Amino acid sequence: MWREINRFGRKLVEYGLAHSHFGNISVRTGDGLLITRSGSMLDEIDENMVVHCRLYQEDCFDTIASSETIVHRRIYQQTSALAIIHVHSPYAVALSLLSEEEYLVPRDTESKYFLHRIPLVTGGVGSAELAANLAGALSQHKAAIVRGHGTFAAGKILEEAYVNTCSVEHACKVHYLCTNKTTGDGTL
Amino acid sequence: MFGWWGKGLEVDLGSGEIVVKRLPREIYEMYLGGRGLGVKLLWDHLQAGIDPLSPQNVMIFAAGPLTGTRAPAAGRHAVVTKSPLTGTIFDGNAGGYWGTALKKAGYDYILFKGRAPSPVFLLIRGDRVSLESAAFLWGKNTDQTIRLLKDKFPAEGKRRYGIACIGRAGENGVAFACIMNDRGNTCGRGGLGAVMGSKNLKAVVVGGEETVPLADDEAFEEYRRDILRLLVASPVSSKGLSSFGTSVLVNLINYMKLLPTDNFRRVYFEEAYEVSGEKIRDNYERKKRACFGCPIACKSRAGEMEIPEYETLALLGPACNNSSLESIMEMNHLCNDYGLDTITTGATLSCYAEILGRDLLQEEMLELIREVGEHEGAGAQLSRGSALLAAKMGQPGAAMQVKKLELPGYDPRGALGMALGYATSNRGGCHLRAYMIGPEIFGKPKLLNRLTFVGKSGLLPVFQNFFTTMDSLVVCKFVSFSAGEEELAAILSSVTGVHFSAQDLLRIGERIWNLERLFNLREGFSVSDDTLPERFFHNSDDGYAKGLNRDEFMRALREYYFYRGWTEEGVPTGEKLTQLGIN
Ligand code: SF4
Repeated sequence: MWREINRFGRKLVEYGLAHSHFGNISVRTGDGLLITRSGSMLDEIDENMVVHCRLYQEDCFDTIASSETIVHRRIYQQTSALAIIHVHSPYAVALSLLSEEEYLVPRDTESKYFLHRIPLVTGGVGSAELAANLAGALSQHKAAIVRGHGTFAAGKILEEAYVNTCSVEHACKVHYLCTNKTTGDGTL
Repeated sequence: MFGWWGKGLEVDLGSGEIVVKRLPREIYEMYLGGRGLGVKLLWDHLQAGIDPLSPQNVMIFAAGPLTGTRAPAAGRHAVVTKSPLTGTIFDGNAGGYWGTALKKAGYDYILFKGRAPSPVFLLIRGDRVSLESAAFLWGKNTDQTIRLLKDKFPAEGKRRYGIACIGRAGENGVAFACIMNDRGNTCGRGGLGAVMGSKNLKAVVVGGEETVPLADDEAFEEYRRDILRLLVASPVSSKGLSSFGTSVLVNLINYMKLLPTDNFRRVYFEEAYEVSGEKIRDNYERKKRACFGCPIACKSRAGEMEIPEYETLALLGPACNNSSLESIMEMNHLCNDYGLDTITTGATLSCYAEILGRDLLQEEMLELIREVGEHEGAGAQLSRGSALLAAKMGQPGAAMQVKKLELPGYDPRGALGMALGYATSNRGGCHLRAYMIGPEIFGKPKLLNRLTFVGKSGLLPVFQNFFTTMDSLVVCKFVSFSAGEEELAAILSSVTGVHFSAQDLLRIGERIWNLERLFNLREGFSVSDDTLPERFFHNSDDGYAKGLNRDEFMRALREYYFYRGWTEEGVPTGEKLTQLGIN
């Protein structure tokens, strides 16, 4: 399974959706989750860069897992997701800072059709509050944006979570470009 | 001055004279406090070749500029002396309340020299300082000593007393006797308690009610909040350490095939869960506790019993092929009561078992610990540590030590930065000098490939310098999983009113490290002491760990000297010393 994580990790970095050692990926494994380790780079994942944590209880492996493990765990507990990708993709982060709405409504037809609207949620990095907000949002949406932080996208398989991640970033990019054109000053 | 009082006490135990000394401001700015200040004072006061247990040895207790403030996890102090176990310069570092109490009494440090004609304890009540008879305490272990002193010196209004003391092991000159303060907080390693015992100094009791003045209260609050935020954001501090304490490491280190098992002959312990943090969580009602001013609170008790630290679990457990958590808790309690370093105790027992060619029974281990503390029976042989024991019994290869300090709970074959860190440590086989567990195990600040020497020679000095600075501030090393030199420089500047950059802090750490190296060279240590036991150049018996490649190790060591600005013989060059302001 780490190979799949490696494959999508490299794609995310290659397409500019993730950078440096920011972002994390997980897949659900029954009553557990396999998640990238804290401090790992998404385009360099090998078997030592992922760690297996329990779904219903913290244990020693939480200590070396991504600091967002609490969020992934809560999403798996509350939704039917089997794979999650979190990245700090630039247009999503930028738009979340410019908008004061609770949702972002895509402008392009395809994103409108595919995503309907994208929830903008709040909460500190790795906090219980963020975990609860995201689990709530992802129980009804394919993806959500954490204000000023990045996207969380869920799927049944990693590929689906990856597609959702790309779709959100695409929607945000189009939205931003259109907005800039119309207002000229970047406000929405 | 802000942050520092600018003064300390010099106590001549032989004559009973106690003098208040003032140090120039530049000494503080160059060495900060804690370990750094202690190293500088020891260097200035001690001649080469002094027997560590003779009256000529000098011992310094020192707080740092952040001690006594509300900086997170900074209620700590250091003790520096020449070690009877290793013969090197040695600093111990402890939490609890004692360091804060010293600062509240209005002193930065206490320097002890000489030997009292009969047992005494030092009493500091604000500005009243006296040597008192310890006749009623001598012969007692630490639990009882602390209880008696607590009863005698209860809190008086805002003044609360900190008590640092030794047990029977320190009185009996056991080479790995520790100093215990306020129950459950130890200056653990290197026999610092034996040095106290050799001076007839049973305890140091200190209480005061001064407030450490800060240069910029507002900036201090802001930087303090920054560090608190980072502590919450890091899973190591906010989850692992906070929920489990360091026992969280047992299963993790075992999973990574680094757990010293059977005296480091194996690296994986089948029954690790039995002595793990998870087992403790699932079976014991624990009450969390913290050192003064620490939000992490990594310590806990179950009833009257202290929950053992990871190193204690590893060395008294798997290293001795012992999977009984209860017996480890009992042994931990006994070690603490006698005032014994649990790492060296466990490692010396496992070395002894290897020499005997059989596992020790739990009752046998308990009895040996008691005998070590009393310095009698078979325990007397063990009381000088594993290196001398193994040499005396004709099997020097059974002692898992560097510079006679026993290795802690990480097999160096599975973490090569740690391996180089053990070999180059100024106090011998110690994981805390460079704390490579951060990048090699936890991925903090960045996950490194732990199975290579590549890049480690350049990184190691930086980590060593950084942790030397932390020991001088004095801030708990666990903060490093969240905050780095930038945050510490900012908060230190706000406390002292002196501008320190992150680079300044690393330079200070480098200065102290080099002075420690000079001390050891002066004592006759050389490049040949910067090595590891032969065992680690071979595969582990269970086949999980590959032996270190000697050529790669030597190359990494040479590179390390190069990055340090030392000669190939591991000697700091004149240019380096000038650069660091060491005359
Ligand atoms: S983290 Fe633990 S050892 Fe460090 S200061 Fe806090 S309670 Fe003490």
